[in-house]
Amino acid sequence: MSGQKTSSFLVSAAIFLLLEVAALVLLHSRSTAQNIWFNRASHRTMAFLWGGGEALRTQFKMEELNEELQAENARLQERLRAYELREQAQEEQDHVAAGASSIYRYIPATVVKMSRNQVHNYIILNKGSEDGVQPQSGIISDRGVVGIVEAVDKHYAYGLTLMNPEMSVGARLGSSEQVAPLSWDGVGTARAVVRDLPPHYNNVPGDTVRTSGFSIFFPPDIPIGVTGDSRLVDGSTRQVDVLLFQDFSTLRYVTVVQNLARTEITALEAEGEGDR
Amino acid sequence: MKASTLKFILLFAAQLILWNYCNFSQYLIIVFLPAMLLCLPIDRGVIRVMILAFLLGLAADFFETGQLGLTSLALVPVAAIRRWVIQLVFGNELLARGEDLSFRRQGLAKFVTSILILTSVFLLIYLWVDSAGMYPLGFLALKYGISLLVSTVVSLAIAFLLLEESVAKWN
Repeated sequence: MSGQKTSSFLVSAAIFLLLEVAALVLLHSRSTAQNIWFNRASHRTMAFLWGGGEALRTQFKMEELNEELQAENARLQERLRAYELREQAQEEQDHVAAGASSIYRYIPATVVKMSRNQVHNYIILNKGSEDGVQPQSGIISDRGVVGIVEAVDKHYAYGLTLMNPEMSVGARLGSSEQVAPLSWDGVGTARAVVRDLPPHYNNVPGDTVRTSGFSIFFPPDIPIGVTGDSRLVDGSTRQVDVLLFQDFSTLRYVTVVQNLARTEITALEAEGEGDR
Repeated sequence: MKASTLKFILLFAAQLILWNYCNFSQYLIIVFLPAMLLCLPIDRGVIRVMILAFLLGLAADFFETGQLGLTSLALVPVAAIRRWVIQLVFGNELLARGEDLSFRRQGLAKFVTSILILTSVFLLIYLWVDSAGMYPLGFLALKYGISLLVSTVVSLAIAFLLLEESVAKWN
């Protein structure tokens, strides 16, 4: 009896669906407004179903996409640097501009490991000697200076980050062109200080701080951060706070900058010191 | 042709004429087709009533609305739940005995309830699909409320007309 009821219900349900579908098909084919409405509903459903799937697929491909973007970013940085240098060279009417643009080589890399809570913080990158990374290369990101490569393995590179009291970067402050060493303040992940400024230095909070280009690690004019408050230290030097553009707590992708003339410059330096 | 069948056809024609000529307001649509389905003999199976509803809907759309399938779409669910509504409102006994509906025996309140349920289902589907997403919800809600109220009152009169024979019988 119960089985008969179930089959009767199923037949009724099937006929109900059949009739409703027939009505919908008729309505869909005969009425423009309903036709548009059905199509819109259908598109919405399709977008929901397949759009969700596409988002999921993109999510799985994210790593690959990130690497592509990273490589493109490095290429663009290299080109940008070349343009900047070319412009600078023209301004100075220096005919070696073409040569200068090829001084630096850029290698994109991903941060494998990075310490942030220690006094001496380090960074490990997923590119090593096989990728052309050499020790004493600079590490930058799209937001500024990150650190310096200290040691290189076949597939990995170990470096010191700016969040390290032992590391300092030559910085140029705002429009004053004042150059002084910049180092980590030892407290925050996005704060640094510029030390050894002359006491009469007139600090303008909000000025951009850039790399000076006087070191062999970093090209000139890479933005590092903006100036904050300043104070006199021991009555003899002035110290300026810098809010870094790069927050180390969110760092993931970097670019290794290799100075191709490094060996030549260091050899020249050594020779000069030897003469003295 | 049986008198009840003729009455049914005439009332159906009346529904078409009402839709065609009596456009009182854009906020009102008077429908008594659900009530007509309710008043069909109780022993009619669900499938038969659904097919009849589909054909009635098609005829109504063919002669009147021009949107072939719209009335069928709204009327078939009414036919599908008809038996369940009768069971819910009038009780199992009626179905078990196979008695026809009667105003005298079942009372006005039960008719109001059952017609209200069936008409509300019809109007819900009909207005929603008919609007095709072009009208604001407030407008549709107002139209739904007014139409349900007026249609229920008219449907009661129609049901009374259709079940007149039964009333005489119970007398």
